[in-house]
Amino acid sequence: MKLSYFAAFAISTVLASANHVDITAGLSYVKVKANGKTYKIERVSTPNTYLTNTYALTSRPSPPFFVQPFTVTEGVETYGELELLDFISKNRGVFIDARLPNWYKKSAIPSAVNIPFKLFLSPSKKLNKVLKSFGGVKKKGKWNFSRAKTILLYCNGAWCGQSPTAIHALIKLGYPKDKMKYYRGGMQSWQLLGLTTIVPKGKK
Amino acid sequence: MKKLTLLAILSFTMLFAGSYDKVKITPDISYIYVYHKGKAVKVHRIQDTKHKLTGEFAKLYHPGKDIQSIKMDKNIRTIGEVELLSFMRKKVNKKLGILIDVRPKVSYAKESIPSAVNIPLRVKDDKVKFGKILNIFGAKRNADKSLETSNALDIAVYCDGLWSSKSSEFVRALLEAGYPAEHILYYRGGFQMWKILGFTTVQNN
Repeated sequence: MKLSYFAAFAISTVLASANHVDITAGLSYVKVKANGKTYKIERVSTPNTYLTNTYALTSRPSPPFFVQPFTVTEGVETYGELELLDFISKNRGVFIDARLPNWYKKSAIPSAVNIPFKLFLSPSKKLNKVLKSFGGVKKKGKWNFSRAKTILLYCNGAWCGQSPTAIHALIKLGYPKDKMKYYRGGMQSWQLLGLTTIVPKGKK
Repeated sequence: MKKLTLLAILSFTMLFAGSYDKVKITPDISYIYVYHKGKAVKVHRIQDTKHKLTGEFAKLYHPGKDIQSIKMDKNIRTIGEVELLSFMRKKVNKKLGILIDVRPKVSYAKESIPSAVNIPLRVKDDKVKFGKILNIFGAKRNADKSLETSNALDIAVYCDGLWSSKSSEFVRALLEAGYPAEHILYYRGGFQMWKILGFTTVQNN
């Protein structure tokens, strides 16, 4: 009896691995920890799966939506999925979903914290708190970010200006360009690659 | 009555067909013209804001296809759609550059990015053909077998998209042949991102 269980398990494992789609050669999944939870990020391994949700939409009205340049500004590095996964799995900094909460609540990349881009556009107590949490120090009304963490921002994707807007605002605040990374592919490329998303729960 | 409605619809579409302002490319650009096989093609985005990508380019399952790094090589610049359009205008339209689709012939025949020429990846393994291609790119093999590249054209390469290694394999072959990295651009998003942003495509039958 036990043996047949084992056999069934072994067969299903073999079948699963036959279907399994690696993220890239030698990397079948990535585990990330956030808020005391562990998330497993992997790619869709079911044949005939298609993108059908709102991210399959090709044509968002402009304004406000335009195709974004590959680079936000010189000095801010653009990341792809592999660079993003390396960043979050090695805990190299703060991973930020810069979209407005109504977008974030529907689906997000695991382990991202939602800091809507609008927060960076005008002074507020909340902004001070966030910049402090990044490692910024405010002295005599001026921010010093020399010890600040590296931050990685994303939004809806190539047609969305929310994270680029946040990055431009952060540059104005004095945040070092080499401490900011931009995942341009955003939610759209992420899902088009069949990568794991989550529906964030509870208050942000 | 039917004729009249048809006429009304026709004149309505004609009135708006030229602007492409509902879904623009960038704040300054609604469309550009590029030359595809000698003909001017207007490149814009699909204006129907409810249009969804369907079919093979909406497919999520790509077994055995690795997600590509944002940079294929430290010396090769990766570009997006805005930079690609600028390359088409400033280089391809002026015959100073070539946009290369390295997907198989059948994929290219079905649909491609306007102004692209097809050089299927496997061509790199055919020494004679690959040599001819280098000549077309403006590079010449010297007697001492080094590559003369002072007249080398700028080229941009794309394939299926984020999960396809075809572009990087092709570019690697170029680099190995001695083609200068500063004349090569990599459009990583490829045909899939081009499609999902609703850009104009052409058929090559």
